[in-house]
Amino acid sequence: MADGKDLQSKSMDPAIREMIAKAATMEIKTVWDRYEAMQPQCGFGDAGLCCRHCLQGPCRIDPFGEGPSEGICGATADTMVARGLDRAIAAGTAAHSGHAKHLAHTLLKVAKGQAGSYSIKEPEKLRSVATRMSIPVEGRPDNDIALDLANAALADFHEKDTPVLWAATVVNPQRAKVLTDLGLVPKGIDHEISEIMHRTLYGVDADPVNLLLGGMRCAVADLAGCYMATDIADILFGIPKPSFTEANLGTLKAGAVNIALHGHNPLLSDILVTRAETRNEAAIAAGASGINIVGICCTGNEIMMRHGIPACTHSVSQEMALITGALDAMVVDYQCIMPSVATVAECAGTTLITTMEIGKIPGAKHIPFAEESAAENADEIFDIAIANFRRRKNKPVDIPNIKTPVVAGFSVETIVAALSKLDAKEPLKPVVDNIVAGNIRGICLFAGCNNVKVPQDNNFIAMARKLLKANVLVLATGCGAGALMRHGFMDPANTDELCGDGLKAVLRAVGEANGLGGPLPPVLHMGSCVDNSRAVALAVAVANYLGVDTDKLPVVASAAEAVSEKAVSIGTWAVAAGLPTHVGVMLPVLGGPLVTQVLTEKVKGLTGGYFIVDLDPESAADKLLAAIDERRAGLGLPLPGVSQTIGAR
Amino acid sequence: MASCEKRYVIVGASAAGMAAAEAIRAIDKRGSITVFSDEPDPPYFRPLIPFLISGKKSAADMTLVGQGPYCGAGIDVRLNSRVEKIDSWAQTLDIPGGERVAYDKLLIATGSRSYIPPEIEGTDTEGVFALRTLADARAAARRVESTQHAVMLGGGMLNLKASFALLERGLQVTLVVQSPQVLSQLMEPEDATLIRNALNNAGLKIETGAGARRILSNGNGVSGVLLDDGRIIGCEMVCIGKGVRPNVAFAGLEEIRIDGGVVVDRFAACSAGNVYAAGDAAVTFDPITGGRIVTGLWTNAVEMGKCAGYNMAGRHAEYGGTFGILNATQVADVPFVSMGIVHTTGRNYETHVSSSRNAYRKVVFSPEGTRLVGVLLVGDISRAGLYRFVIKERMPIAKLKSNIIDHTLHYGHFMCP
Amino acid sequence: MSEPKEIFVRLDRCMGCHSCELACAVAHSESRSLYGAIAEQPRPKARVYVESVTPRTPVPILCRQCEDAPCMHACIAGAIRRTEEGVVITQSDKCIGCWTCVMVCPYGVIGRQTEEHKAYRCDRCPDLAAPACVDACPTRALVYRSVKDFSRDTRQAASAGMLGAQRG
Repeated sequence: MADGKDLQSKSMDPAIREMIAKAATMEIKTVWDRYEAMQPQCGFGDAGLCCRHCLQGPCRIDPFGEGPSEGICGATADTMVARGLDRAIAAGTAAHSGHAKHLAHTLLKVAKGQAGSYSIKEPEKLRSVATRMSIPVEGRPDNDIALDLANAALADFHEKDTPVLWAATVVNPQRAKVLTDLGLVPKGIDHEISEIMHRTLYGVDADPVNLLLGGMRCAVADLAGCYMATDIADILFGIPKPSFTEANLGTLKAGAVNIALHGHNPLLSDILVTRAETRNEAAIAAGASGINIVGICCTGNEIMMRHGIPACTHSVSQEMALITGALDAMVVDYQCIMPSVATVAECAGTTLITTMEIGKIPGAKHIPFAEESAAENADEIFDIAIANFRRRKNKPVDIPNIKTPVVAGFSVETIVAALSKLDAKEPLKPVVDNIVAGNIRGICLFAGCNNVKVPQDNNFIAMARKLLKANVLVLATGCGAGALMRHGFMDPANTDELCGDGLKAVLRAVGEANGLGGPLPPVLHMGSCVDNSRAVALAVAVANYLGVDTDKLPVVASAAEAVSEKAVSIGTWAVAAGLPTHVGVMLPVLGGPLVTQVLTEKVKGLTGGYFIVDLDPESAADKLLAAIDERRAGLGLPLPGVSQTIGAR
Repeated sequence: MASCEKRYVIVGASAAGMAAAEAIRAIDKRGSITVFSDEPDPPYFRPLIPFLISGKKSAADMTLVGQGPYCGAGIDVRLNSRVEKIDSWAQTLDIPGGERVAYDKLLIATGSRSYIPPEIEGTDTEGVFALRTLADARAAARRVESTQHAVMLGGGMLNLKASFALLERGLQVTLVVQSPQVLSQLMEPEDATLIRNALNNAGLKIETGAGARRILSNGNGVSGVLLDDGRIIGCEMVCIGKGVRPNVAFAGLEEIRIDGGVVVDRFAACSAGNVYAAGDAAVTFDPITGGRIVTGLWTNAVEMGKCAGYNMAGRHAEYGGTFGILNATQVADVPFVSMGIVHTTGRNYETHVSSSRNAYRKVVFSPEGTRLVGVLLVGDISRAGLYRFVIKERMPIAKLKSNIIDHTLHYGHFMCP
Repeated sequence: MSEPKEIFVRLDRCMGCHSCELACAVAHSESRSLYGAIAEQPRPKARVYVESVTPRTPVPILCRQCEDAPCMHACIAGAIRRTEEGVVITQSDKCIGCWTCVMVCPYGVIGRQTEEHKAYRCDRCPDLAAPACVDACPTRALVYRSVKDFSRDTRQAASAGMLGAQRG
């Protein structure tokens, strides 16, 4: 039953609310229905106090002290919680680095001339990354450099003479020292994942702090995976430039062949985008106006950043795109794809196409995607979509007429290029000067997902509002960027209304210097979840410029509605990088008081970063502002006067 | 007089008497219920008396009517009315002031009085108390103000509770116990070790194997106690807790059988027609041994009073008897529950003892080992009521025996045999 | 007032997950949320007990709110009474922690709060529409029905069984 109050508790997005109501009339079970049915959720799991790591279990620990206080093997609450958290970090790391490994293999194939659909789009970046990795570039052809770089990338997955270079070479020297001193420099990405599985096995590591440190090292390996993925994707598909596009369900077109690309790897989505041109005629012949590709989740971000492809929806509302009835195909690869989309697709008349051997869904059509046959695979996908369009054309579809303008594409290179219009010699100077002056109070990165436990987008909206009004420069990635873009936070027309005076002025200065005829958008879209590495690159650049470590910068992060284990691993490396990191849903750690204390307080003394767990967005924003101010004070920067009109009340 | 409006008269307004009154009223909405008390205070929870001395509760906190299951509706309580004569042929009784009251059903619930051993000299000295009534408690509370050291004669529950009340008032307290250990009525000496340690840690001085010969006095009342070994303990206050005796001395009612207390059958009726007895004043039976016992416990008095009340109002209710021992309390952070037969030395019971740093447990089975007859729990008293149930029902416990011995018995064992 | 409801246990549905115990403790905490309750001192206490007869037979046990409650009559401080709704409650401020109620409860469901020296038991969650344990049970083993309705359900199940058996 979807009444008004009911819808408000599910999503803040008006287009999604329409579709939730429609799904109810169609009697299609949505993620919100399944969440309802799952109540009450197990309190032991919620507190991290259950363990199924061995066949003597399952064990649960009573947080109120009446029942068992240890697992059958003797594991204490803190041990149990730490082991569980470590496995989440390992899973997140495996996902990001699996994505990176896939890209590395593709680069290798390109270098060997085995993947004709792919090519090196950014030879300059190829060279700069190779140089960073101590690979000679002078006078060498692209393919030779690419071969060495691809092999270096693959080598980072296992132990070798050097540590994981994609971690060791991407941080500033002081941070590298901190990580080295703490033993947090990973030896090999897959090695760290494997070691986590080993140490969390029955009867290995029972020391909660030791477990957490091991987890943090694996999280640094996750950073390496993310950074690697961003680097190689830029090399193969292009460095994102400013793009002008739109977001939300209104980007679907009733008269076009609508294909939603969902999942993560641009290996798949980029090919489909570039190949769509060749199939346009076929689409028109079928009676469509053309092929309309839209994105969902991170792969949507990848193609938006590089090609300006519109975003259809994100994360928790992924099923709702299907409810419009206007999707002719949903093409997926891996990560964050709810298995339920197969059922919803069937009701909606959409063909769900899975493409990866590790990512199959019962009820979907599986087209095994290979880099060598990318073009053929893409064509097959288009044909299915066009055939579906033929079947559904002239039938009514339900596309909410809701979409927002989006300015995206803020890679570090784009940002630096934009800033060079203000200061060609030292492009970071304008940013730093404005931070010092207080026009930019600090920087906040919004990342992560939408969680069904939170009314969709609610936390992002409330926090971004408050921070923007307080002159915090807001960056965004992943479905965090997705949330903000669908509510107008990436529309330059809203910059004046949303931003504080100081920030507004900076955005306007940069925008006008770049010939935009207006300010930059309020929030800068930095890309997909692996592109959180772009934020690291920016922070490291600023840190190097200022000559301080990253834990001194007034930079904070927030996974305001986190879901995936990938969010846990990213959050952990953000803490390892020295950032105060907010999580807006509960992590399963409260059952372990020591672990909770380490993650929220004690780790500050080790890496300078720490977790802030706060489910209330207003209070969370206040804590982030306090953290920013604490950093400002540490740098001897003035704290802002009391003129902030902090958020709408 | 309408034939359906019975006149119920109850002598004694404490546990048994008031429980009976409430039980009668629950069944008979119209009969008149009159309760006579010889005390000046409205009915109160007698076990709370030590709290009046410590100051933790006021007299108002202790009133019966309006608390727990007592609503007092339609029950006429007459204070300061010591019943002088009962005529069971005429079915009347006399109270001070010359009033003669007629009854259809009479309940004797006169309770018990403190036993003052006659061999102790000087028990009428000012500053000597047997804590029984609110009046006693008030007087004792006043005496505390001019007392530095109090001596408690007798190591039973009442004196232990009173000791702690006095300790809380800042007094020095010495407990003088004839037996080799405290709480000797409720457990055997080696059972009481944990409790004894707790009492010592709480600052209570205990002299065991000692008795008082004489209470010494000066111009201000009590000045000390002379023990039978010749030692003198200086003190300003003495509390005597040497047990109670049933109040059964009545003028009239010669025809009722008395054997320590008033002898009653399982329906609370005694040998005179329409006369019932319940509480400390009555002699009841122990379902474990089948033998007759008197009991001095509030809980038992309430149960007996309820039973008597039902029977008086015409509803048959059979009393299941009570154990000779059925006590629960907490002294100095150590809780304990003692029930049934726990004195096993030299007797042919199957006994299991489990002793650890913080808990002590004694489980007693019948000689053939087929029935539970007694349990003593010190420290961990969880689910004690289950054991009372098992003992009282004389349950065959073959399947449950190991659970009983391990204290892992729970109600699920009864639901899923 | 309509028929009062009791908490009944359908033993065949109980998975032994102890979620009811957790929810009960949380419902009787200061903060009323799992996250807050975990950190509270004194620790919140559950009033429902999931015991096991064998490892595979979990049995949830809680106060039956007896109509003629032994605990109420046994209390020497008058701290236990029956509310208008028929719930037997222990009034903490009157309780003196003598544990006589524990000694007479034939179900063993009265607990002892060590820090505060008070007895406690199931109070049927007076502030909630349905008791927390009932809401928390993921298999609906705990049900909140009137005696009449519950008995009728049991009869209907039994009759269906008998009918099926007779028809062969």
